[in-house]
Amino acid sequence: MSASRRLDALRAAGVEFVAGVPCSYLARFFAGCAELPSNDFLPAVREDHALAACAGAWLGGRRVAAAMQNSGLGYCLEVLTSLHLMYRLPLPMLVSDRGADTDYEEHRILGSRVRRLLTLFDIPWRDARAGAEDDDARWLVETSERDSGPAVLLVGKEADS
Amino acid sequence: MTRAEAVALALSLLNDDDIVVAADGAIAREAYRALDRPRTFYMLGSMGQVASIALGLAMSRMERVVALDGDGNLLMGFGGLAMVGGLRPANLRHLVLDNGCYATTGGQPALSGKVDLAAAAAGAGYAWARRCFSPEHARMGMETWLAAPGPALLDLVVDARDPDPARRIPMSPEELALRFRAAL
Repeated sequence: MSASRRLDALRAAGVEFVAGVPCSYLARFFAGCAELPSNDFLPAVREDHALAACAGAWLGGRRVAAAMQNSGLGYCLEVLTSLHLMYRLPLPMLVSDRGADTDYEEHRILGSRVRRLLTLFDIPWRDARAGAEDDDARWLVETSERDSGPAVLLVGKEADS
Repeated sequence: MTRAEAVALALSLLNDDDIVVAADGAIAREAYRALDRPRTFYMLGSMGQVASIALGLAMSRMERVVALDGDGNLLMGFGGLAMVGGLRPANLRHLVLDNGCYATTGGQPALSGKVDLAAAAAGAGYAWARRCFSPEHARMGMETWLAAPGPALLDLVVDARDPDPARRIPMSPEELALRFRAAL
């Protein structure tokens, strides 16, 4: 058991390697990641590098996941389109769901369009539910492996468990 | 020494079980032409991610992981240098084929002429980092780099001219990924 039920659920669903950049909405999740063995968690310096490292780890035979604030999706578009979608590499992603009208200004423009952005690139997504961590994790891992591509779980502040 | 000659020389010095990540653009095409091997991952896009992909591999495998990078490519993803230096995987070797320009797009100058890539790698935490200017020392430089403690970076200066461009790789991205993963 780690500090995060969501991380435990992902590990139970088979995830062996996590790379990501923290978000305050994913504070518990990253607290759990910090306790992982050093070769199982990469604290990336930017979200696109986290995704590229996940590609390397998956090609190296492991099951992977990435985690980030939704603002990082902008950096990720090139890697998503010319690595994961093009080579067909499974990639479960935990992305914070920021940008509501009550959120800070810097989160609103991209944050309010994240669902449309993912839909535009045919990336499956679903909203995380507090208390349904196991079901969310299974959906995320199974969907990314079924499609051999990225799949996104959008995590609101209340769903960071 | 042309970049293609340096790529071929590096591949000739590797062990059979070494894992290679070849940078998108000319470097991947030249690696494919010089010595196609299933344990090489050929990048087709995602410029700037060579070190990050190699790091994910190095954290997941026991074998040596060799990144064949370009100077413009490394500069685009400079954060990858920090991640390798910070995580310090001993099994990672990073070769920068440094022609000082963006050769694939027409030879526009890159800032690598003014930025000391080996010093940057050392500052980031690489265990070993050197620059090699002269083609007659390329082989010795590569042998020293491969034997050095990792992570190790060799910034190898090569010609900007490209007399014999390599063709595109005649395999689909999906085929390349599946073949590579199955070979490990």
